[in-house]
Amino acid sequence: MKLLTHNMLTSHVKGVTKGYPLLIKATEVKMNEVEFNPQFVSRMIPKLEWSALVQAADELGQRQDLPGELVPDYEKNEDFLKKVHRLLLEVEVIEGCLQCPESGREFPISRGIPNMLLSEDEA
Amino acid sequence: MSSQEDGAAEPGPDTVGPSSSSSSTDNDATTGDIISVTIGATVPTGFEHTAAEEVKEKIGVDARISKDRGRIYFPITTDKLFQVHLLRSVDNLFVVVEEYDNYQFKESKEETLMELQELASKLPWTNALEVWKLNRTFKKKKGYRKGGNGTKGKPKSEAAGATVADTEQQELPQATSTVENQTEESVPEAESDTQDSVEAAPRAILIKFRVTCNRAGDKHSFSSNEAARDFGGAVQEFFQWKADMTKFDIEVLLNIHNVEVVIGIALTEESLHRRNISHFGPTTLRSTLCYGMLRLCKPQPSDIILDPMCGTGAIPLEGAIEFNSSFYIAGDNYDMAVNRTVNNICHIQKRRADKGSISGLPIDTVRWDLCSLPMRTSSVDIIITDMPFGKRMGSRKKNWDLYPSCLREMARVCRPGSGKAVLLTQDKKCFSKAISRMGGLWRKLHTVWVNVGGLHAGVYLLKRTEAVNLLMVISLQNSNPGTGYCYCSD
Repeated sequence: MKLLTHNMLTSHVKGVTKGYPLLIKATEVKMNEVEFNPQFVSRMIPKLEWSALVQAADELGQRQDLPGELVPDYEKNEDFLKKVHRLLLEVEVIEGCLQCPESGREFPISRGIPNMLLSEDEA
Repeated sequence: MSSQEDGAAEPGPDTVGPSSSSSSTDNDATTGDIISVTIGATVPTGFEHTAAEEVKEKIGVDARISKDRGRIYFPITTDKLFQVHLLRSVDNLFVVVEEYDNYQFKESKEETLMELQELASKLPWTNALEVWKLNRTFKKKKGYRKGGNGTKGKPKSEAAGATVADTEQQELPQATSTVENQTEESVPEAESDTQDSVEAAPRAILIKFRVTCNRAGDKHSFSSNEAARDFGGAVQEFFQWKADMTKFDIEVLLNIHNVEVVIGIALTEESLHRRNISHFGPTTLRSTLCYGMLRLCKPQPSDIILDPMCGTGAIPLEGAIEFNSSFYIAGDNYDMAVNRTVNNICHIQKRRADKGSISGLPIDTVRWDLCSLPMRTSSVDIIITDMPFGKRMGSRKKNWDLYPSCLREMARVCRPGSGKAVLLTQDKKCFSKAISRMGGLWRKLHTVWVNVGGLHAGVYLLKRTEAVNLLMVISLQNSNPGTGYCYCSD
């Protein structure tokens, strides 16, 4: 699971209103090189929940010097874009789980695939 | 278009040389002359215009769409031949030997077949055979096609070690609305011919060939079987090639569609349409169809593209390769499906790594229930998927419940105003009804009618309207506290 995907995922357990962002508990993380496209990154940033990305990076120990708030003119800052690219696309959680911040329900991640299926009584 | 060359090719492939090039293009000063030919391509029916667009974009020429559905034709010079193989919307390629757009068949079967036989020695084979020769140098030797029965060959695994999880669904031959449309085989082997050859020039290699005839139309006095047999026999006589149904070097195509007759030589051994998939499922969509669907929605850089019923991941994988400045999330509820998707992704990544390229693809896989997507409201730009038809997968009755639920959920996650969906389904009635009952969340922009495994299906391009319902507003407020909601309008 890449962090870009994580940024879009939310808990949908019945009754939960604050199911985002999911907490990441990773037991295996891999790096997978993906071609850098600055236009992709700079256009993607407005679509992200920035604080959720920062939090996820923290949880994986991958934050490095990522700022807590977006700096102005980031579109032209290639260094910055490369860091974001790496976090969004190249860090992969292979094993672990995602946890709903409100209900505590854990969704397992196996082979890089989060299993978000709910049981009948949870849906 | 029906001009013929006299005494075009001499018998024996090794005597066919570039000297008889008849085209009007300048000859190269170097060893290989550049010649001009017409290439024919078979494409998924319904996507002829998409394929023509791709040809214009990548080869730079205008393609002609044949009345015989599922075929386009375009001119190329042989220096561009390699690029033709890079087209993503074509299933099979062939070089045209000759085309007749208004062939006058004789009244009787005997006369017609006789005329076909006479045709063999009069056709301008030279250039087409040159292209066939050139084309051979591009292809890896994949071995011979097994069990020739004329329909698209069974897709082979690319890597020797790749496992095929399930038997894939064989593509059924396309049915036309007219009476007969058979795909037939060639002349059976004639043993005695090769023994008493009266060839003056010694043959360096023995060329093996077969003829495949596709015939459609209700006014023909003959069957495709008969045409293939007689035409093939004459071709064999003329070239002194050996007929072989399974282990052939040259496949001659005789395509007859009403009064349109095209003779060609195949340039692809096996169909290109399953190129990405090594791990099949029961309803894996061919990659050319996936490409056509993707082109329809025009993915933009940074678009988030969802396939909520991905099966083996054919659509998002084709997207991640061909439209790679977008990001793809593939999801399914079935564990075998998500596993196969991941296997297919890994297979492609490994192939890329082996070639020394950066292997990672912009794609991820999630296991989920599409009627309750664990995705933020209005977070997705495009939804593209192959919806259960209710024939091989699911059921018609299930579709009546499934379609409205999933369309509603897809509307929730799709960005209002700018979002789009491209949905393939055969259950057109259920689909249309579900859309119309959805309070204006979706608007139909365009429909492409296609043929999928013999079933008549529709690819619907939908626009996600500005409409937002109350539940969505609430969920937006919950998930985006303090940031408000903004549209990404470019």
